[in-house]
Amino acid sequence: MGEVIVITSGKGGVGKTTTTANLGTGLALEGKSVVLLDADIGLRNLDVVMGLENRIVYDLVDVVEGICRIKQALIKDKRYPNLYLMPAAQTKDKNAVKPEQMLKLTKELAEEYDFVLVDCPAGIEQGFKNAIVGANRSIVVTTPEVSAVRDADRIIGLLEANGLRNPQLIINRVKIDMVRRGDMMNIDDMVDILAIDLLGVIPDDEYIVVSTNRGEPAISESKSLAGQAYKNIVKRILGENVPFMNLDTDEGFMAKLAKVFGFRKK
Amino acid sequence: MKDDAIVFKGTKEGLYIVLKEEMIFDDIVHELENKIKPSKRFFEGAKIVNFKGKSLTPGEYEELVDILQNQYGMQFLGDYESLCRNDVFPKEDQKDQPIPEPVKQPLGDEEKALFIKGTIRSGQLIKFDGNIVVLGDVNPGAYLEATGSIIVMGNMRGTAHSGTQGDYSTYIAAYKMEPMQLRIGDIINRPPDEKKYKSEVPEMAVVKQGMIIVEPYLVKK
Repeated sequence: MGEVIVITSGKGGVGKTTTTANLGTGLALEGKSVVLLDADIGLRNLDVVMGLENRIVYDLVDVVEGICRIKQALIKDKRYPNLYLMPAAQTKDKNAVKPEQMLKLTKELAEEYDFVLVDCPAGIEQGFKNAIVGANRSIVVTTPEVSAVRDADRIIGLLEANGLRNPQLIINRVKIDMVRRGDMMNIDDMVDILAIDLLGVIPDDEYIVVSTNRGEPAISESKSLAGQAYKNIVKRILGENVPFMNLDTDEGFMAKLAKVFGFRKK
Repeated sequence: MKDDAIVFKGTKEGLYIVLKEEMIFDDIVHELENKIKPSKRFFEGAKIVNFKGKSLTPGEYEELVDILQNQYGMQFLGDYESLCRNDVFPKEDQKDQPIPEPVKQPLGDEEKALFIKGTIRSGQLIKFDGNIVVLGDVNPGAYLEATGSIIVMGNMRGTAHSGTQGDYSTYIAAYKMEPMQLRIGDIINRPPDEKKYKSEVPEMAVVKQGMIIVEPYLVKK
C-alpha cells in the first residue's frame, strides 16, 4: 500500500505544482513508482510543468465518470518509466468530482504505486476538499511572505481538522541575501508561527523558471540549487536524515577559496 | 388604352421596350409615339437594347426600329434574331404570380458549419455537429470537436478533433498549425517533442494510411 501525499498551500502561486513535479520526479529517480495526480480541475498546470500536455487523451474526470479505465488516463513520463501523471480535466470545474470519487481513485492508485502525490488547487473550497480526502500525509508549501504564511496557517488548521495530523512544511523561494539583510521573513520565525515540522527550504532559483517553461523538472538538473534542495526533501520523505543545506552560496570566488583553505570570513 | 401597354425597362446595358401581348401593331406604333413624344428630349440618344413581350414580324420590327432611330434619335442595339431568342422577360399575365423560391440544392452529405469569431481559450470546449470554422486563434488547452471538418483562420495551438463520429475523410486546416494534439476519427497524433514546431505556411491535417499527416494545402509558389 503506497502513500498518498497532498501538496497544498492555500495561497496560489507559491510553488505547489513545481514542488509536486520535482518531488515526484525525485521519488521516481530513487526507484519508487509514482503517480502525480493533478487535482486542479479547470486550471491544470502539472501536465505543462512535466512537459506532457500534448499526450493527454483521458483525464481524471473521465476516470471518475467511468468513461475510461485508470490505466488509460495515466500518462507515462517521457524520461522516467516509473513516473506517471493523472491529468486534470481542463474544460470542467472542481464540482465535476466528488470527494467520495477522489477517495476511491486515490485508494486504487495507492494499491499499485509507492507514492501518489496530489497537486492541490489554491483555495479552501471544493477543489481543496477533493485533494485532501484520500491523503494520508500532507505537505504545506509557503513562501517567506506574510500573506503566504497566513494562508498556510489557515490550511494547516483545515488539514488537522480533516484528520491529517503532522503536516510538513516546505518554505519555497527563499532569497538568502534578503533574509541575511533582514528584509525577508526569517525561516525560524516562520517555523515558529506555523509550528509544524520543516521538511525543507528551497532557495529562489532562476532555473525553476527555465525548467518550468521547458517541461523538465529542476531536480534532474544538478546545477540547480533548487533542484538540490528538492533532492534533499525527497530523501527526507523516504525517511533519511539529511542535514539542511547551507544556502550561503552566493559568496564570491575569493570567499569560496578562503573556505577551501580553511579561512573564515568575518 | 392602359398605361402599361408599353413599358420601358432599364437594365445595365440599356432600355428594353416591353410590348403588351394582346395589342395590335397599329396600337403599338400609336402608343409608342404617345409615350415618347412628350419627353422626346429625354429619349434622345437613349440606348434601346431590344423589344420584349409581344412577338413581332420582321416587317413590324423594322418599322418600329426605324421610328425610334430616325424620328426620336435613339440608338438601337439589338436585332430581330436576338429578340426571338431572349424573349424571357416576364409576361404581363405572369407578373402577379409570386416570385418562385430559389431552388434549394439538395444538401446531401453537406453539413452545417459553426462560425466562431475570436480566440478560443484554454478550458473552452467547442463541440458541434457539423463543421467548425474559427476566425481567430485556438490556444493551448482549448478543444474543438466537430463531426465534420475544422478550419482555423488563425493560429491553431490547441487540440482539434474532427470526424468525431469516425469520419476519416474530414480534415483540420489552419492558417498556422502548431497544435497540442490532433485527432481525426479515433486516430490521435501530436507534434514531435524534439523541436518546437513552427508553422511557416497554412497547413491541413488529413488521414493517410491510417495516420494523421500534416501538409501544406497551397501549391508551392
